[in-house]
Order: sequence, then C-alpha cells, then structure tokens
Amino acid sequence: MEKFALYPGCVMPTEQYAYEMSIREVIPKLGVELIDLKNFSCCGEPIKSVNQMMTLTLSARNIAIAEKQNLDIFAPCPMCHLALTETKKILDSDEIMFDRINNLLKDEDLTYKGSSKIISILDLLYDIVGTEKIKKLVKKPLKDLKVAVHYGCHLIRPSEIGRSDDSENPQKIDKILKEIGANPEYYPEKLDCCGALLSTNLPESGLTKTGQKLKSVQEQGFDAFVDTCPWCHRQYDAKQVKAGETVAAKLEMPVFYLTQLIGMSFGIPEEKLGLKLNQSPVEKIGVEK
Amino acid sequence: MNKKIGVFVCHCGINISSTVDVEQLTEFAKTLDNVVVSKNYKYMCSDNGAKLIKESIVKNKLDSVVIACCSPRMHEQTFRGVVESGKVNPFNLEIANIREQCSWAHSDKELATKKAKAIVKSAVAKAHLLEPLVKSKIKVTPNALVIGGGIAGIQASLDLAEKGLKVYLVEKSPSIGGRMAQLDKTFPTLDCSGCILTPKMMDVGNHPNIELMTYSELVSVDGSVGNYTVRIREKARFVDMVKCTGCLACVDACRLKGRIPSEFDMKMGKRGAIYVPFPQAIPLKGTIDSESCLMLTRGKCGTGPLCVEACEPGAIDFKQKDKEKEIKVGAIIIATGYDVLDPSSMYEYSYSNSKDVITSLEMERLINSSGPTVGEILRPSDSKKPKSVTYLLCVGSRDETECTWCCRIGCMSALKQMYLLKEKLGDEVELNICYTDIRSFGKGYEEFYRNIRGMNTNFFRGRPSEVRNAGEHLTIDIFDTTTNKLFEINTDLVVLVPALVPRYDSGELAHIMRLSQSSDGFYLEAHPKLRPMDTLTNGIFIAGCCQGPKDIQDTVSHASGAASRASVILSQEEMDIDPQIAIVDVDLCSGCKVCISICPYNAIESVEEEIDGKIVTHAQVNEALCMGCGSCVSACTSGALQHKGFKDKQILAMIAAVGDY
Repeated sequence: MEKFALYPGCVMPTEQYAYEMSIREVIPKLGVELIDLKNFSCCGEPIKSVNQMMTLTLSARNIAIAEKQNLDIFAPCPMCHLALTETKKILDSDEIMFDRINNLLKDEDLTYKGSSKIISILDLLYDIVGTEKIKKLVKKPLKDLKVAVHYGCHLIRPSEIGRSDDSENPQKIDKILKEIGANPEYYPEKLDCCGALLSTNLPESGLTKTGQKLKSVQEQGFDAFVDTCPWCHRQYDAKQVKAGETVAAKLEMPVFYLTQLIGMSFGIPEEKLGLKLNQSPVEKIGVEK
Repeated sequence: MNKKIGVFVCHCGINISSTVDVEQLTEFAKTLDNVVVSKNYKYMCSDNGAKLIKESIVKNKLDSVVIACCSPRMHEQTFRGVVESGKVNPFNLEIANIREQCSWAHSDKELATKKAKAIVKSAVAKAHLLEPLVKSKIKVTPNALVIGGGIAGIQASLDLAEKGLKVYLVEKSPSIGGRMAQLDKTFPTLDCSGCILTPKMMDVGNHPNIELMTYSELVSVDGSVGNYTVRIREKARFVDMVKCTGCLACVDACRLKGRIPSEFDMKMGKRGAIYVPFPQAIPLKGTIDSESCLMLTRGKCGTGPLCVEACEPGAIDFKQKDKEKEIKVGAIIIATGYDVLDPSSMYEYSYSNSKDVITSLEMERLINSSGPTVGEILRPSDSKKPKSVTYLLCVGSRDETECTWCCRIGCMSALKQMYLLKEKLGDEVELNICYTDIRSFGKGYEEFYRNIRGMNTNFFRGRPSEVRNAGEHLTIDIFDTTTNKLFEINTDLVVLVPALVPRYDSGELAHIMRLSQSSDGFYLEAHPKLRPMDTLTNGIFIAGCCQGPKDIQDTVSHASGAASRASVILSQEEMDIDPQIAIVDVDLCSGCKVCISICPYNAIESVEEEIDGKIVTHAQVNEALCMGCGSCVSACTSGALQHKGFKDKQILAMIAAVGDY
C-alpha cells in the first residue's frame, strides 16, 4: 500500500471540511494510506510577494517534517502544492539557498534534504492511482451528468516549474470524470480565473470573475461544476449567490469537489463525503440535504 | 638542430591588452628556449603587423613562428600567408589563442597574464616540433547540385547555369516553385508572386545546363569538396514523363477528383489522386499519389482507371518503380526552405478548436485567384464573407516556450494581406491586428506600413492570451499596451501568423550531408557575418530560409551569393587540399581496420602490399577525402595513425610545457 503524509494546509481544515472528508473517504479506497504528521505549519504561499525567504523557510520546514519520516507529501490544496513544489525546485538547484534555509531549520532539529516528492490531488488520482483503478470501484456511474470542469490556476501554472497538467489544455480531470460516467464538456471559459486571489484587496472584482464564469456555465446548460481547490471552491460554492448579484444573475449551479463526485460514484454515503456542507444547490442533481 | 622561433603578441586593440599584460608576455617569451625574437603590436592582422612579422622572419632567419592572438578560426589563414611571404613554410606557424581562450574569458589581469604565458610557452614547444607540409592538388568536377526548387534553389541554379556550369536541381515535390508559388502578392510592391516567379521557373525548365529532377530525394552523399558522388531517388510518378504532354485530361478524369486535401493549397482545397499541384507547375506533368490512388492501394478503380481512359498518349504506368541515379558534382547548394509552425501546439489560440482560425499561409491560398475559393474571402465554417478579420502576429515567434526567434516576414505579410482584404471585402470590413512590434525594416517596408496604418484598421499592441470559440464568432481579449486598456474583440475570422521553423526533415538531411544545425534547427553558417552562405563543410553551401527566416529579396540575394561562392570552387580545374590530414605509419599499422569503421568520410581503405617479401595489410588514407577530423587518430590503438598538424609528439610537448602551471 502506498503511503503519503497528508499536508492539509489552512483552508481545508479550518472551513472547507467537505474536501477533507471526501479525501479521507475516497483516497484510502484507492489503496493509498494517508498519514497525519504533527507540527505542520502554513505553506508560506500567501506571504510570498512580501517575504519570499519566509515562504521558502516555511515550505522547507513542512517538507523536512515529512522527510524525517521518509514520506512523500500529498498536498490536496493546489496553492500549498505550488508553494512546496516551488521551494523544492529552488532548494534542489541552489546550494547557497539550500544552506541558508537549513541553517534556519537547525533550531527545530530539522533538515531539508530534497528526498520527498510533492504530490497534488491530480498527480495522486491520475498518475499514481490511475483511471483504471478508479473505474473498477465505480458502483453508481454519474450517468449523463454534464459537468463543467474548473482546473484553477495553481494546479497548472506556472508550467516551467512542473505542474500537474498542461497549462493551456488540461485534460486529466476530464478523463477521470469520464471514467466515473460523467460527461465533461468543453466551454470557452474553462481556464478563467475564480477571483479568489482578489478577495482581500478587490473583493467586488473577485466576485465578478466568479459570477461571470458561473453565469456562462449556467447559460450553457451544465448540470454541475467541479473543482479541486479550496480557494476556488469557496468562491463558487459559498459565495455563489453574492457572485451572482455582481453579474445580475440568479445562480443555481451545483458545485462539487472532484473527490465528492468520485465518492458518489463509488456509492459512499453522502454524509461521509461532506455533501451536506456544500452551500450551492447540490440537491438539484439528487443529492439529499 | 635547434630551430629559431619568433613570438608575436597581438593587443587586438584592447581586446587582449586590457586583460593580459602584453609587455610582460613579450618579455616572458624571450626567455623561452629557441625563441630568438619576441615583439608585440596593436593589430598583428593589419598590414603593419604583417610587415613586422615578415621583417622579423627575414632579419632573424626564423624557422618557426608563434602568433599569440585570437582563435585560429579567425586569422590562421591570414597568418599562414604572412609566414609564407617571409619564405617560411606556412605550416611552420602556431597560433596561441590568448583572446577567446584567455582575455575574453577572464577579468583578473594577473591571473590572465599567467595563463597567457602558459599558452604561449606551450605553443612555442609545439612550434619547435612543427614540420613543413606541402599542399597537394585534386581535380574539380565542374557540376553543381542544388537541393530544393523554391525561389532560392531556382535563383542559385540559374546563376550557376548562366556561368556555363552543369546544374542538377533536385526537388522533393512534383513541381518547383516552393513557398513563393503559394503566395498571392509580394510585399511591399504588391507584385503578383506567380507572375514574377513563373518566368524563372520556365527558364529552369528550359535551360540546357539545368537537369531538373522533381519528385526526387537525396539518398546519400560521398566524397568531399570538388568531387562528390551523390545518389538520388526519383520517386515513381506512375506517369511516363516522355509520353505525357501535360494536357491534364487525367486530372479532370480522376475518380477521386476534389476529394484529397491539396498540400499546395495548405489543405484549404482538394485535389484528385492524379494531380498537378498548380496550373503553372514545372514540369507540367501529372503525378499519381500512391497513398490515395484506388489502383495503387486496392488494385481496382471502379470499372477501370479513368485516367488511363482519358490519356491519349498512354502515359499512365502503374508498374513504374522508384529509380536511383548517381551523379558527380563539385559543390552542393542546399535550399530546402522552411515550414510554418503548426499552431495546434498553442492550444490557447484555438487553431484545432475552430475552423475559422487559420494561418497566414492558408489565408494566402484564400486570397489567390487560382486558390480553392477562386480568390473570394470566405470563412471556412460557413463559406460567408467575414465582416471582421483579426490578425495575431508572433504566434510562436519571439516566444520562449516555442520559437525564440523573429520570423522576419510576419509583420509585412500580415500588412500586405490586410491591404488585399480591404480590396476584396471593401472598406467596411473591420480589420484588427495584434502585434508585438511592427518590424518593417526593408526598403519600402516602413512606407507600406504607414500606408496601412492610415487606412481604416485597428492596431493593438499586445499578445492576446486566448482566442475563444464562441460559436458564431470568435472572441479575443487583448490588453493594448499603448493605451493601457483591455479590449474585447468579437471577430469572424482569426488569422494566425505563425513562426517559421526548419523543415520537418531538416535533421535527416543534415545527417546525410554531415551539416551542423544551430540551436534553432536551421542550418549553421560558417560565420554569421562574413560567411553566411558557407557551411562548416567545405564545398557545401546554404541558400535561403534553410539557414534562417528571410523574405524573398533576402532569399534571392542569399541564393545568388551561394551560387557565386560555389562557382569559386567549380571554376577551378584543380584545387589545393589542406595537408593537415591523417597519415599512416605502415610499420606500426596492425591492419585491425578500426579506423575504417570510424572514419565519417570513408577516407581510409585497407590495402595489401608486399614489404620485404611479406604481404602486409595496412590502412591507407585517401588524401582527397580526408577532412583532417582526427577521429581515426584517437581510435588507433597502435599509434600508427597520426594527424600531420597534431602529431602525438607535438601535443605531448605542449602538455609538458604547461606542466608547471
């Protein structure tokens, strides 16, 4: 059985419980053990523009904790995954930075070695587990569910540091959805921004981005909207009604985490997948709330 | 006997002297064994420098000369001439490279001077062991091979043929004409491309000195400058070239007429299985596409092949086979042109996602009156006239993820097409162009650009992040950096102006011809400024876009230049061979033949010889073929092979000399 240290980040364990619940249900069924480690801290990404040294130190510290246990890290939040990956990329190629950061980690008796891999939700589901294995566990295929896939930005950009899918034509979520019976379709706004990163300084503009995308998806007759990022999900799910107001639309789009849809197709009870916590109208596609 | 050696240190302006203490170096040289004179001068390669060297040679009765200067690739030939003028064998010269390998590479003057001393000391050690070499001569075959029948190949062939030289022009496709034949008008004069090209094509077809070999490919090249043996495969056309009169009745008759995407029309139009790529093709003969023809793929074509019925002279021959032919030439010009980058790789521009996103070369076929729409501008999705057309420049060009270089023709070709679209669609058509910079650098180009800007057109400076297929139309978000505003363009037809890239099979040809490619994949010139038509292989030249993107006028100049360079070789009856080649010591050779398998030029053979009553098998170097690469020398286990300019004892002396550093 493959083992990974689960790096939860901040958004998932403090408000996006449904993501964590569905991950803890679905991933072990696919033959992957998730290990919880103590003392993980912030990934550092939100302060990168102010203090990159701090970001590198925080990320390296988290990686070092996993390396002490000889574990690779599974970071379901794409933003955390980006921070950890970028840090690894810098420290593995820059000896001076490697020494500086390790000097800072000494107080905690930690060492960044560069031995652990950083795994995203897509790496895990598509590349490590694989669609074959997912297909075998499907009990209730999501028949004819027309799904709009949202990849978000951190999972696929910036491509030069190595991300989980193609930055302009990502397909892995679409392929997984097809295996569980759903019908992911192309829409022109597929790669549009969710607006989450504008929520601190330009909240109105952020919500407009959210609203524009959902409005267009709704107009194109999609049954559901799926994402894998807790930041995106917060925009599309919890803030959906407000986002609709900014674009003068009544939005009623069921929004799911990818792991929730996979769990549903596996026949996992809805309450275990945290579906009751989704604030968008998931009942529209038969989810009991 | 001890040789008398002179050392000459060049300042190279300040290129060397700012990092290396040339006075100190000159004094140091005087202390070395056998050095009888040491001098320095600002520019050794100048007339005064040459005079200084020559006078020192004569005055001091020098046997060998060391010049501490730039790389031997720059001036070794120049200095050999200088040494010869002082009545010393030109190969008794050793260059100590203290510029590229010392002053340019370092900044610490003290250490650089120390290194320069080591380089000079080592060169002096070799100079002591240099041996005079004599150039030998070979006969030159006065024929040329030109590969590629686009405008570059056409121009080069005509230039050489006019000089009275025999030219073989090999073209891969069924007709010559190349990319220029696909264009409608040329910028900035708006000449009809076909009208100015066709007379040249006919000249090629009719010239007594040109043997045209279309639908043919290169198989192998052996030999070296002055004497190449080339094998060429003439692919089966399944049409007898002698019997065919070019009436084209077969083309009209073909059962598959109008069903196979035409390569010439960039797949915007269709052809049959037997076809002529375009009406002005040279030679004007039918060609059967063996991958589509029903007779050739299934052995059956309805009740009988219609082309055979239609052909009065009986020229169709389904049994025809590929033929190989061997020719002998003295020089080769490569003019294989370019490909247009397939924009599908840039998914964000929706080229594979919408029929109404086309490339500028595809647009060229739409504009052309002999093209698939007979010159009408119709959008591919619904065959309606577009009310708005948007050009995207630099698609894949000047882009670190695709092609870093500028395509040099994109801006002007788009401006030209915009002019033609206004003519064809009327002034009310909305024309947008998203550009990075407009590069209108040629004669008359800037004026043409100004003219288009003055017309009713919209210029946006920026690169759109995406072209969206919104069903009926396409949408583009463009941030215009001249106004700092974001614009949303709704448009009917998007024309991508893609990067120019090397031909898809340029690597294969490079392998056959033993050519180097630069990092972008285009063929590498011997010197970017001073030898732009030469390759690093003597006797092989490059013309046109196979060397890098060019417009038509630059291509024609380049091609004429290449022809002129080739004729320098071809107009000599005999030519000198560099004596710095490999030599075999028969006494040491064990006859193991390892060198034969290693030699990239097939210059070594195994021979049997009677020596002191015994038959001995040993390697023998063909002086005309050996390029002096040294591969055999390093492979030889018995030390029997030596390079005349770099003998083991010379190299070991150089290493020993720097042992103290």
